[in-house]
Amino acid sequence: MNFDGKYMLEVFPTLLKYLPLTLVMAVVAMIFAIAIGLLLALVTKNRVPVLYQLANVYISFFRATPTLVQLFLIYYGLPQLFPSFSAMNALTAAIIGLSIKNSAYLAEIFRAALDSVDNGQLEACLAVGMTKAQAYRRIILPQAARNAIPASGNTFIGLVKETSLAFTLGVAELFAQGKMMASASLKFFEIYLAVAIVYWALTIVYSLLQEWLEKRLSKPYKN
Amino acid sequence: MIKVTNLRKQFNDLVVLDGIDIEVAQGEVVAIIGPSGSGKSTLLRCLNLLESPDAGRIEIGQATLDAPKYSRKQAHHLRQQTAMVFQNYNLFKNRTALQNVTESLIITKKMKQSEADKIGRALLEQVGLAHKADSYPITLSGGQQQRVAIARALAVDPHAILLDEPTSALDPELVAEVLQVIKAIAEKRTTMLIVTHEMAFARQVADRIIFMADGKIVEQGTPDELFDRPQNPRTQRFLQQISAPASFIS
Repeated sequence: MNFDGKYMLEVFPTLLKYLPLTLVMAVVAMIFAIAIGLLLALVTKNRVPVLYQLANVYISFFRATPTLVQLFLIYYGLPQLFPSFSAMNALTAAIIGLSIKNSAYLAEIFRAALDSVDNGQLEACLAVGMTKAQAYRRIILPQAARNAIPASGNTFIGLVKETSLAFTLGVAELFAQGKMMASASLKFFEIYLAVAIVYWALTIVYSLLQEWLEKRLSKPYKN
Repeated sequence: MIKVTNLRKQFNDLVVLDGIDIEVAQGEVVAIIGPSGSGKSTLLRCLNLLESPDAGRIEIGQATLDAPKYSRKQAHHLRQQTAMVFQNYNLFKNRTALQNVTESLIITKKMKQSEADKIGRALLEQVGLAHKADSYPITLSGGQQQRVAIARALAVDPHAILLDEPTSALDPELVAEVLQVIKAIAEKRTTMLIVTHEMAFARQVADRIIFMADGKIVEQGTPDELFDRPQNPRTQRFLQQISAPASFIS
């Protein structure tokens, strides 16, 4: 069997140099996705006229089309319609694309999480003189957040892996670097296994973080 | 003081409140009784606009509001005149007992944490739950949760407290502790509107009983008048029905 374990170990330091870029893409895209997703969820939950219909079209479109197609639409397609977009670099396009796509998924998760909070909680807030905004901020959103975390975590893990699609726009990230090293050394299995292990490790570390967060947030609900 | 004039509410074709007029004096305790579906809970929920009335005027404390057209600000102002105790307690699940009581003080009255805590602890003491201040609702029994909910309602120092079947969801052995707390508050001349099925309690604690059926006030009077000498046949029938099970057993 032709497997060079020593070579595989040697490539890790080079690959890990690209980890920060992958992390930046994933975390920045996730922050935007959470913000947009929450807005969409509040709009759909409260059935805000006009915005509600628009939000549904947005969610439907970005959930139903392949991420790769969306990225190409943004990076290669938009500059054709709006020349000013040609100034946008590949990394920005990737982050925008991943934010939009994942916001559509998160919107559905957040809406379900908001629905899972008993309406009596809002009524109790209003009954002691809080405004709806205060009720959401102090009581409803914290409770919904706890319900949203497991599914949102799945979305984040998916997002981390999707950052590898940025390579198709020419972003020199973790997977792109692996591909270059593989073409140079022709040790495909070693390189791609190493790349896979980096993603795997990242997900394991994240899962531990999420577990800790879940424990912390569910403290009030444990007997 | 509460004054309600010609209050109307309809759910689709069903008329739930068919022109209700009520006046409650400062410090008066009024119990509302009646068969289920008579509109008594809806009436209470219209007073703090958890249901929006179709017509009528509501005056509570310093707030006056004419349904159905009112601004968000008016609604908020009216809600701040009252506090509500719910059938299902509805304690904030992500807050401790103490935080449940202090939340509104800190958020709506902009009180300092230390000041709010002092008031909160005193109120928990009053409902006999000082030792549970740091417990989360899920660890409390139904009776304890409802007592915290009563403390939460008292915290905002409302013109009136609206109690919507406060003991209906409780196990029978927990009813007494909650009624006792309500009775103690009633004795302090807190204005209260209580929707209840506990007739003996209503008789004991209320200055006036209102009997509702089919969205209307059928009859009202002092507990003695209404329970012992009901005038309206509808009231007589209702009181007979609720005492029927006991005679059925014997």
